[in-house]
Amino acid sequence: MSNTTVKQKRTALKVVKSSKTLNVSSGVFRVNQSITKTINPSISGKSFSSASDSKVLDKSLAQTPKHTVQVFDEHGQDVTPHPLYNPDPGVLQPKQGKIFPAHDTSWTTMTDFPSVAFQTTNASFTGPFTKSFFGSVSASRTSQTTESVTDETKELLVKPDLSSSLSDVQARREEVKEQVREDIMDRVVDSYLTETETIWLLDIPAVSVSEDSGDAEAVKERNNAYTELCKNRHGNDKYVERSMQTFNDAPKTKEVQSDSITMVDKAVMSTTWDMYDSFCNKGDVSENTVVSAEGNKATVPDSSSMSHLLNPSGPDQSMSVFSTTSTVSGSSARLEKMTCVLPVEEEPDLELILQSDKFKQDLAVMERVVLANIFQPKLAAYRQLPVIEDPDCVQTQIEEESWTEQSKNSLSPFLEHLWVFKCELTKGRNVSSMTWNKKNPDLLAVGYGQLDFKDQKPGLVCCWSLKNPTWPDRIFHCESGVTALDFSACNANQLSVGLYDGTIAIYNVQTTEQTPIIDSSDCTNMHACPVWQLRWVDHDTGLAGEDKGEMLISVSGDGRISKWIHYKGLECVDLMKLKSPNMIVNNQRWNPKILSLAPGLCFDFHPNDSKIYLAGTEEGHIHKCSYSYNEQFLETYKAHTGPVYKVTWSPFCPDVFLSCSSDWTIYLWRQELSKPVLGFTSGQKVVFDIMWSPHCATVFGAVREGKVEIWDLRVSSLDPTIVSASSPGVNPTALLFTPETDCVLVGDSEGQVTVYKLKNLPAGDSTQVEVLEDVIQTTLSSQHTLGKTDRDA
Amino acid sequence: MAEVEETIKRIQSQKGVQGIIIVNAEGIPIKSTLDNSSTVQYAGNVHQLLMKARGVVRDIDPQNDLTFLRVRSKKNEIMIAPDKDYFLIVIQNPTE
Repeated sequence: MSNTTVKQKRTALKVVKSSKTLNVSSGVFRVNQSITKTINPSISGKSFSSASDSKVLDKSLAQTPKHTVQVFDEHGQDVTPHPLYNPDPGVLQPKQGKIFPAHDTSWTTMTDFPSVAFQTTNASFTGPFTKSFFGSVSASRTSQTTESVTDETKELLVKPDLSSSLSDVQARREEVKEQVREDIMDRVVDSYLTETETIWLLDIPAVSVSEDSGDAEAVKERNNAYTELCKNRHGNDKYVERSMQTFNDAPKTKEVQSDSITMVDKAVMSTTWDMYDSFCNKGDVSENTVVSAEGNKATVPDSSSMSHLLNPSGPDQSMSVFSTTSTVSGSSARLEKMTCVLPVEEEPDLELILQSDKFKQDLAVMERVVLANIFQPKLAAYRQLPVIEDPDCVQTQIEEESWTEQSKNSLSPFLEHLWVFKCELTKGRNVSSMTWNKKNPDLLAVGYGQLDFKDQKPGLVCCWSLKNPTWPDRIFHCESGVTALDFSACNANQLSVGLYDGTIAIYNVQTTEQTPIIDSSDCTNMHACPVWQLRWVDHDTGLAGEDKGEMLISVSGDGRISKWIHYKGLECVDLMKLKSPNMIVNNQRWNPKILSLAPGLCFDFHPNDSKIYLAGTEEGHIHKCSYSYNEQFLETYKAHTGPVYKVTWSPFCPDVFLSCSSDWTIYLWRQELSKPVLGFTSGQKVVFDIMWSPHCATVFGAVREGKVEIWDLRVSSLDPTIVSASSPGVNPTALLFTPETDCVLVGDSEGQVTVYKLKNLPAGDSTQVEVLEDVIQTTLSSQHTLGKTDRDA
Repeated sequence: MAEVEETIKRIQSQKGVQGIIIVNAEGIPIKSTLDNSSTVQYAGNVHQLLMKARGVVRDIDPQNDLTFLRVRSKKNEIMIAPDKDYFLIVIQNPTE
């Protein structure tokens, strides 16, 4: 290895080399540090005085693969340039033109050269097989460079690099070869040599031609010709110099003014329902597109809303207002901007709204919602739901304590007061009858009317809903006092009302009209005396064709039990005439001419066999009659000494019925026995009403003057299980059990219907039919043994 | 008409009802039992809430529509019955 030092005339920079490991694709060539040499390039001439020159030089140096060059300028700063170009070692070098042209055009080529040099050296690295080829190339290179380099520094620069690099290569190769042989002694390695195509990297054609080249002569001739031409140009006529001038016109400013363009922000939010609406209303676009200036689309009110707006009386021009204002259906942020086309029409707006049906409905719903909030705990108790306390409520401690105290202290059965149906309309009226709607268990019809012949005033029927205990949903005013009520089971909206003057009316509770659907006042056969009881009875067990279906049966004070048919007006057919047995006392056969009928006060059809029914009369007799046999009674039960106010079959035991009377007694009968089995008396008060409990066979309720009693035969047959005294002066007059829950309603003479919940009443799993039977059996057997026929308290 | 007035009076007289407001389609209160500033506040705010709620309901199913909205808060409950042409607001404190 020859190390040549380059003498430098003027030291501009110092180049320091360091060792560097270079990984080449074809192998690992370790760069020996011993190769390092100091090259102090001499910088001479103007072309190298600038800093850029140094950079160029540095590049040339830095791009030699053997050493890493670190360049420091005169200030000692590291200005080592980064190589711009890292050639692929396997790449053949491009064809080279003249490497060292004249100075002034040499910058690019200067950079070329080092890259070339790099390439050559690299090329020489690429493989031992190409050694000879590249060696010759590099040799030619060096020869070329030596020829063309005018600057001795460059020459000096290049040569040592090349020579050193070459020698290095050779040395390196030798070393590597030995290593390789040791490693792969036994292996046969196939190596393939391919020549890549020529890759042009840069081609700048030279401007100058060398003297030796072939077309030097031609070039020289051309050059000469040109100089001749230039000389000839001076005084030649062929060449005339001419100049032109353009006019610079005076500039003039011109202005144009336009209307200010107002920018309006418009936003549309397309939502699912927007698209749905516009799709549906596509066909309905009418004059209502006028208003929706800023609307998203031409929204048109539904035809349904339009139609119900048209119904209430309203001026026609306000219709358009309504239609326009009702296009708000979609836009959310545009409310403030909604314009009313006819601002004059503000007044009817309010009226129309208030009169619309929808508003009434909404009001009704709202009222119920408000009331639901208030009555929620009571209603929950009614419906046997757990009563949940309002977590936000600031509970009045006292109220709560008293309530819970009562419930805790008494484990005995009692009636829990829930709420009262009352309003100012019903104040002072006597509740005469109550009935539940067959279809909607929340609907209650209450009839108000005096039961005795004095103080007769126009009657009232109110349909209360559980959802609104403060105001009835329907109010029907009747001419005379209401004495009987019943809802139809087939047509759940039909309510039959029996009046004190004997009229029977059927109301449709779906409407608020005051007139009944049908009235019996036109009927020739109408009752002459108060209708004491009404019942819709469903005869569907094997009767003649016309008798099928539901029929209205009534019993009245004129002693007739009639069946009413709704066929072009109410017509009645007498089922039975309650003949007074007094006639038979005369030991005469019943004389049809002298009809003495006992006023009938109540009746009840057998729950299982709808042909058999019981009728109670004012004389205290209870007759068992058959539907198909209207001449005579099947049986007569005599025990009461006063008018029988109510007779009712037990819903569970088919042969048992109860009767109550004004002789202070309640009797329990068996169908086949002509004497009562049990009698219940507590106090000397008239019993107005009794009813079996729909849940438990042994429980029934009774309403006396001043008291409400609940009897439970399991517990005791002597005393009522629950006695609830009403306020003094107020008499409970009607009793009703709730079919689904364990509540009982009591109507009193002040027009109030109180809802009580039966608390702590022993609820059996079954309907306790057996218990009732047992009780009766024991009583009968005891009677038998003791020889008593009936018991009186 | 009288029936409507009566019903409104009845609602007003129920326990805990603080106010009733009837607002027309444009958001202008047309009838109210509260003072003016509260009325305007309720009307404006409820209107926006209503639009949003209706949007929610109809977005999920465009054939559906909002029929009633109740907002229960610590102090009271706001019940809103919306319609195309109006909406009815009742504010109640049921526990007082």
